[in-house]
Amino acid sequence: MSQSAAVLQKIDAPQVNDWTNLGSIKLSIRNLNFYYGTTKALKNINLPLLTNKVTAFIGPSGCGKSTLLRILNRMYDLYPGQRAEGEVLLDGQSILDPKLDINLLRARVGMVFQKPTPFPMTIYDNIAFGIKLYEKIPKSELDGRIETALRSAALWDEVKNKLNASGLSLSGGQQQRLCIARTVAIRPEVILFDEPCSALDPISTAKIEELIDELKSRYTIAIVTHNMQQAARCSDRTAFMYLGDLIEFDETSKIFMSPSQKQTQDYITGRFG
Amino acid sequence: MSDMAIDTPRAAAEPAFDRAKALSAFKLGDATFYWLTRASAILVLLMLGGIIISLIIGAWPAMRAFGFEFLWTQRWAPSAHPTPVLGALGPIYGTILTSFIAMLIAVPVGLGIAIFLTELCPPFLKQPIAIAVELLAGIPSIIYGMWGFFVLGPFLADTFEPAIVSAFENVPILNTLFAGPASNLSLFNASLVLSIMILPFITAISRDVFATVPPVLKEAAYGIGCTTWEVVKNVVLPYTRVGVIGGVMLALGRALGETMAVTFIIGNSFRISSSLFAPGTTISAAIASEFAESDGVHQSALILLGLLLFVLTFCVLTAARLMLRRLEKRAGA
Repeated sequence: MSQSAAVLQKIDAPQVNDWTNLGSIKLSIRNLNFYYGTTKALKNINLPLLTNKVTAFIGPSGCGKSTLLRILNRMYDLYPGQRAEGEVLLDGQSILDPKLDINLLRARVGMVFQKPTPFPMTIYDNIAFGIKLYEKIPKSELDGRIETALRSAALWDEVKNKLNASGLSLSGGQQQRLCIARTVAIRPEVILFDEPCSALDPISTAKIEELIDELKSRYTIAIVTHNMQQAARCSDRTAFMYLGDLIEFDETSKIFMSPSQKQTQDYITGRFG
Repeated sequence: MSDMAIDTPRAAAEPAFDRAKALSAFKLGDATFYWLTRASAILVLLMLGGIIISLIIGAWPAMRAFGFEFLWTQRWAPSAHPTPVLGALGPIYGTILTSFIAMLIAVPVGLGIAIFLTELCPPFLKQPIAIAVELLAGIPSIIYGMWGFFVLGPFLADTFEPAIVSAFENVPILNTLFAGPASNLSLFNASLVLSIMILPFITAISRDVFATVPPVLKEAAYGIGCTTWEVVKNVVLPYTRVGVIGGVMLALGRALGETMAVTFIIGNSFRISSSLFAPGTTISAAIASEFAESDGVHQSALILLGLLLFVLTFCVLTAARLMLRRLEKRAGA
């Protein structure tokens, strides 16, 4: 606790200055607390997500990393009794504001889940569905958008001849890339990955990691992962969380080569967690 | 417990022999179990066959007397001279029409309740509404009949029907559908009561199948910015359509066969009227109201009506199966 407080102070101290040196900030999280009913799951989190960078969240199960991710697109709103306090700004606009249009927020902040979640419809419709929610475009343009989305999820060559097959007929890895294509098709600004590879085999995992690397040129990415190699491989900055506290947040190379906190070091060397 | 597990094999003098013996005991048990379950399943088929055969035997005199004309004859005159004239068109029409209207009302309302309960309802209301709907299913049908007779019927005849009749007086098709003198007992009254009676089936089954949609799938849909309506329309309903259609078909089966309440309030008139506000009859209502006083070819004709209801229900179920298969093919799942 005292350690984390020290880190927070280090980040907090000349708050604005510290963060401005990092580069352009897409999402800024300040003094964020989160409650499941009366249980406090996140304690005073302060953290920026940088534009066009991949930020990884690591930490043992139950440390609050998925919870933090689910705040960023207000997914917790679906469940009564869950609430967030503090400030989360997307391009300077508060997303915790109850008057905010949640559907528009979710169009700007897309999410890919732990398990592949294709909708019960064709591959084509899985992607067209999301686009049609926001735009009325002619069929030819829609076809183009779908092809672009599938290409950017590295799935086009595998499905171009069976766009009318059910999304459920694909393999797990393909389904996950379909979900990424679906997210990308809506043209979000931020993409949240919640352990996107935990249900996938190593080859599919490698493909998804490659994809994340390509996507970051266009999107701001946050990824929660249990796989530390994955965090090391595909992120620019890493946040280590433990029991609802943000213990350390820094350049990925720094976190993995010379962490400043002992808890971080213990975790990445496998001594606990 | 753990001691026993370790000691037993050691204590046995000839473990291999004992194991064979134990296995043969299992085999006997397995065989008995297999035959018991198989006999139960065969019993169902035998009963079904027995019912069909006894219906056909009972209906035979009427079939011989009226032939296929029975299906499209409207006149029902058991005491006509020299021979009775009996036709099933009125009851068939009434059965299909009342069930159709009941479904028209109960399916959207039932699905609406189920969607509200699973997707929108604040937690403190969930339990009371669910229990209220289940209680609806527990009310004996005769009570629905009495309510339809003493409460709903007079209300329809005095207030609702005159208003509708005068409202649609000059609308071409609707003025024949909603016409005539207001009547306590009518096809419309029976349809309304039927819709209330089948509502709990549709609601309870749809609610249960809606609850099987994985939360993460709904989150994914909300995650791309869907509203609750869009999630229900594009994810929940497609994902659960097999179960929902199953529930709807069960309700339709109930509506087609419902007897007591309908007999009370439909008016038992074999004449087909173009107006929904006129009395009519259904197959089961006709059987229930006349069977006790019937004999000879009249009784046989009532049994033939029962056989027709059986066939009608069978056709509906088959149609539902075919529809499901086509839906599954189209979804490619």
